[in-house]
Amino acid sequence: MASSLIRHFARPVLITGKGLFSAATQRSIPASSILFHRTQATATPPASTTTTNAPAPNLIRVNVEQRKALVDFGQYVAECLPRFVQHVQMSSTNELEILIHPDGLFSVIAFLKDHTNAQFSSLADITAIDVPTRTYRFELVYNLLSLRFNSRVRVKTYTDEMTPVASICDLYDAANWMEREVWDMYGVYFTNHPDLRRILTDYGFEGHPMRKDFPLPGYTEVRYDEEQRRVVIEPIELTQDYRKFDLSTPWETFPKFRNAVHDDAKQRQESKTPELSKPSTGSNTENKK
Amino acid sequence: MASKILKATTNLTGMAVSKDPHYALKLLYGKILRDLKKIPATATYRKYTEDIINTRLGHVESETNIARLERKINCGQIEEVIVQAENELMCVRRMAMNNVWEPLASQAPPNQWKWPIA
Repeated sequence: MASSLIRHFARPVLITGKGLFSAATQRSIPASSILFHRTQATATPPASTTTTNAPAPNLIRVNVEQRKALVDFGQYVAECLPRFVQHVQMSSTNELEILIHPDGLFSVIAFLKDHTNAQFSSLADITAIDVPTRTYRFELVYNLLSLRFNSRVRVKTYTDEMTPVASICDLYDAANWMEREVWDMYGVYFTNHPDLRRILTDYGFEGHPMRKDFPLPGYTEVRYDEEQRRVVIEPIELTQDYRKFDLSTPWETFPKFRNAVHDDAKQRQESKTPELSKPSTGSNTENKK
Repeated sequence: MASKILKATTNLTGMAVSKDPHYALKLLYGKILRDLKKIPATATYRKYTEDIINTRLGHVESETNIARLERKINCGQIEEVIVQAENELMCVRRMAMNNVWEPLASQAPPNQWKWPIA
């Protein structure tokens, strides 16, 4: 049953000067390796049985061949670069993630770009995540695309505010602006970058807006001043104080658990006058609602 | 060898038709195999790359017809294969410089890769 749910995707066809060739070339990972067993490039996928009973449209179709190729490739990279690869994993959506030591960032990306079995010649994106509770608060994410093998890979590493990481501008020209963006938004410093400046924020902007400790409204406010007839930058003034919201619903959805709600004020009262409040809590709240 | 050059163009921007791909490939593969000798023989990267290069070199040496050679290598047109060899040469030199075969530099701090964090 499970196999009937899997749809094999048609292979893309490339028109060259000599006629039609299958563009889905397979990586020729050597047979001497024990771990890998690659399907031959000429092997055709088994005939699809999905024509008669088509799968429900809301099911995620897993391309088993593609997934296996990615898993194998992840192991291949981990074996080739044991010095830098810490962990290799598949995400829940069947994407390969290679988690590496920050020292090896340039080497790993260079390997993925230049190695014959990888050829990730296109850099899709660089971004970062800020998790302040971690030892290294920033997680850097590099998305690569291999046009030759029609596959994608995600390389992840980590750093903090003070630790610079190697720029990959020498490998990909596209990395120039992307690294500037990461620098602007998170304040991650890249060494050997030809032109590391802010890219998205305004002239004279201070701080890195995507950090978790950057306040949502920012520090300054920009407006046009009629009297001075120019744009002025002023420190932000909040017209209202922070409010304390009581998020418990007044409708008593679960009356059984009404005491579990975090009502600090009531708890303090109870602790002060336990002999008075204790017998009356149940009836009090019942009457109120 | 009139059979050597079969096509007028590669249909790829900026990529000229190679006059003598066999010569270019043999030269590049020789360089790669020589540079790979600098990496310890136990390194997995060296083993795999030698396998790839030796297989391709074998095809290049045994097959004179370019169209058939392309089909045997099965990685694009012969000009693209030359570019791949150039890249691999650069890769081998970089890997040799960075000692990638050594054991892991250091493990990530605990919970560095944990997600969700809670």
